[in-house]
Amino acid sequence: MSRNTLEKVLYDLSTSGAHKKKFAEDPETFLSRYQLVEDERALIRDYKVRALADLGVNTMLTWGFWLQAGKSNREYLKVMKREEA
Amino acid sequence: MATIVGGFVAPHNPVMYFNPQGASQEQSDACYAAYAAMAERIKALEADAAIVIGCDHYILFGTECLPPYVISTGEIEGPVDQLPGLRRKPLPSHGALGEHIAKVGRETGFDWTVGRALNVDHSVAVPNHLMLEPTGRDIPLVAVMLACGVDPYLPMKRAWDLGEHIADAVASYPGTERVVVIGSGGISHHVGDERMGEVNPEFDRRILDIVTRGDKAAMLALSDAEILREGGNGAMEIRTYACAMAATRAAGGRVIGYEPVEGWVTGMGFAELEVAA
Repeated sequence: MSRNTLEKVLYDLSTSGAHKKKFAEDPETFLSRYQLVEDERALIRDYKVRALADLGVNTMLTWGFWLQAGKSNREYLKVMKREEA
Repeated sequence: MATIVGGFVAPHNPVMYFNPQGASQEQSDACYAAYAAMAERIKALEADAAIVIGCDHYILFGTECLPPYVISTGEIEGPVDQLPGLRRKPLPSHGALGEHIAKVGRETGFDWTVGRALNVDHSVAVPNHLMLEPTGRDIPLVAVMLACGVDPYLPMKRAWDLGEHIADAVASYPGTERVVVIGSGGISHHVGDERMGEVNPEFDRRILDIVTRGDKAAMLALSDAEILREGGNGAMEIRTYACAMAATRAAGGRVIGYEPVEGWVTGMGFAELEVAA
């Protein structure tokens, strides 16, 4: 697992509208540009922010990544606190 | 020569802008009154330049390059992360003062990364909006960005040394500017982790006490582990306070306001720093 490239993807998604659009349209194609293995791609594709944070990914990025998808802050905190159903 | 005539520490909380209802009316009023009081002090000090010490939030600098400390030497624009009521725009800049500080740094052991046309985030734009613009003096600023939000963090000692270097450099600037220094950051706050929303008033008051006593030893004794445990990842921003304290020669100061605002996820502390003669 590479925290560095995971952070690079989340940084790109948080700072570029064009990247956000490409990710939303076709996550697999977008993620194929990065040096990630399948497990890592799945963490991003499936918004596994708790797992990403557990790998050391900066939580400023995981929070922004979650919110940019239109997901709620309440749900984010439930996931981070491991309270999700 | 230019003179540092005042210093301040204050939060740059973006939640105030996108969720103003998160605070009670009383807490919100108290925070905005503190910003207004600082603006009045800056006006009374007849400041005509400001050095705003902020920090990146993984918005400006990415994994490709993570600089420990950055200074503006030309135009400034921001905030990149626009907020309701705080749109991205050119900010008044004192490029010559920033370039002078960077030049002195290169000669004395501080290899600044320079932003010749620097974009800033809310950590610079909020103090400009709430502390400098209300003075009506169109105060040009130098933006300093410390690595407080993304590891590797700038060591607290290095932040302090950087502040002393800024003081020396301002004193050798061939101008008559009256400069205020602003350390921009929240005290306890957790950004994006499972403790987001927790505020630690005991830790916050301890930090304000250190700041207003000008206690260098106590500031430098704070370990990253302790700050993260007691104040959260956002509290790493108190490096900006250390830098501002050192730039004013750690002469102490006074608390202007403090509010533990859980709805704004931050211990909001405001203080004025005295400047040593």
